[in-house]
Amino acid sequence: MSIDWITVAAQIANFLVLVWLLKRFLYRPILDGIDAREAEIKERMQEAVDAKEQAQAVEQSYHEKAQALNVAQADLTETIRKTAEEQRNVLLAEAQQKMERDHAIWQAHLDDEARKYTAKMHRAGAEALLALTRKALLDLADETLEGRMGHHLAGKITAMEPELRRAAGQAAEAVVTSHEDLPATVQKDLTRDLRAVFPQIAVRFESDDTQAPGLVVRMGGAQVAWTVESYIDELDALIEGQLALGSDTQGHQNVR
Amino acid sequence: MNLSPDQVIMFQIWDIPINATIFYTWIVMAVLSVGAILITRNLRPDVPPNRWRTTLEVIVQGIQGQIEEVAGRPNRQLLYYAGTLFLFVAMSNLMLVIPGFEPPTASLSTTTALALSVLIAVPLFGITSRGLGGYLKTYIQPSFIMLPFNIISEFSRGISLAIRLYGNIMSGAVIAAILLSVAPFFFPVVMDVLGLLTGMIQAYIFAILATVYISSATAPPPQSQPERDIT
Repeated sequence: MSIDWITVAAQIANFLVLVWLLKRFLYRPILDGIDAREAEIKERMQEAVDAKEQAQAVEQSYHEKAQALNVAQADLTETIRKTAEEQRNVLLAEAQQKMERDHAIWQAHLDDEARKYTAKMHRAGAEALLALTRKALLDLADETLEGRMGHHLAGKITAMEPELRRAAGQAAEAVVTSHEDLPATVQKDLTRDLRAVFPQIAVRFESDDTQAPGLVVRMGGAQVAWTVESYIDELDALIEGQLALGSDTQGHQNVR
Repeated sequence: MNLSPDQVIMFQIWDIPINATIFYTWIVMAVLSVGAILITRNLRPDVPPNRWRTTLEVIVQGIQGQIEEVAGRPNRQLLYYAGTLFLFVAMSNLMLVIPGFEPPTASLSTTTALALSVLIAVPLFGITSRGLGGYLKTYIQPSFIMLPFNIISEFSRGISLAIRLYGNIMSGAVIAAILLSVAPFFFPVVMDVLGLLTGMIQAYIFAILATVYISSATAPPPQSQPERDIT
């Protein structure tokens, strides 16, 4: 048993060659493969971590957006509610104003109708009163209403002579106005009665549809009149009193 | 009985005699290299690893783990060296089961060559790691008086490695030869099994010892602990 130094040298060379061969064909491919796989695993894990972080960021963003959306929705709801309330108030105010306007128009129309009705009733009452009075005078005293009105007016003129002269001044004409044309006999009697007080006075007769039934005598600034206006007013007051009394009685009956 | 394969001339190349030790070493080298080439030829990151590649990865990572455990840190150069040492010795001893195969590690020349390579590798790794001055300083540690002892220790370390490997492998072969002549049908099988076991253990021990020696030479010098103010 001895050491062959040539073999030793050859074995050292062989060993070094084997180190190179295994380094070239074994260790490096294996280690590089392991490193590549570890790098790939690390990269995939990093990608997974990144994906997870990205997913968490997206989730966070989604939650924030949802929260913002909820807040915006609440704000929008509140805004819509306020707008609707304001519009409701505006519409209510407009409706109230329109109703008040309509009510005012209706009230004005009602008042106008009432006024027209009252005027119509007034005229009807006056005509009825005149017709009744004329008929009663004709039946009871065989006289006409116009004749009695002229006679009554002549009496008033005689009684008020001093005041009429002062008020009439230097008037040379007396204008007698009636609702309808006076009969000739009445005109003649009234002319005679006026000239009995004012001898030089000229008398002119006129009719006026708008004037209440009766007679009006104007001389300058003086005026003497008798119309059924006051009687109509008294008749209206009497009717209204009776109507009021009737409604109270009906109300009491309804209460019972 | 011819105990050394160095004396067996297998053939001649250009009048250079090739003995059995070198011849069988080439066979081991060819087996290891061709096996590595065949297994790693289709090794790409996008190809899933097959069982052979996984086996090689387990072996290489096992060697790397052992080196990292001994050296305290990963060292690729040391892996190439100690790993080849282990694979060569282990493959040589494993091929003992092939009839007619003479393991090259049964030659004192081979074990001496491996021991010498370790003996040369230790200062080379040390100089590479620490620099020439840093490595030479280790011979006068802890004092200058220890210089001859450290030199003797360095050489005896290599000699012990060589004798250890040779003795174990050669003793197994010698005992197997003796028992083969006594009981030719029973003992050789047992001895071959024991030879495989001791061969693997020897490969492991040889590689680990080489790793320990090289690691001790490449280890960074101990850092002195900074003094702490105690107040």
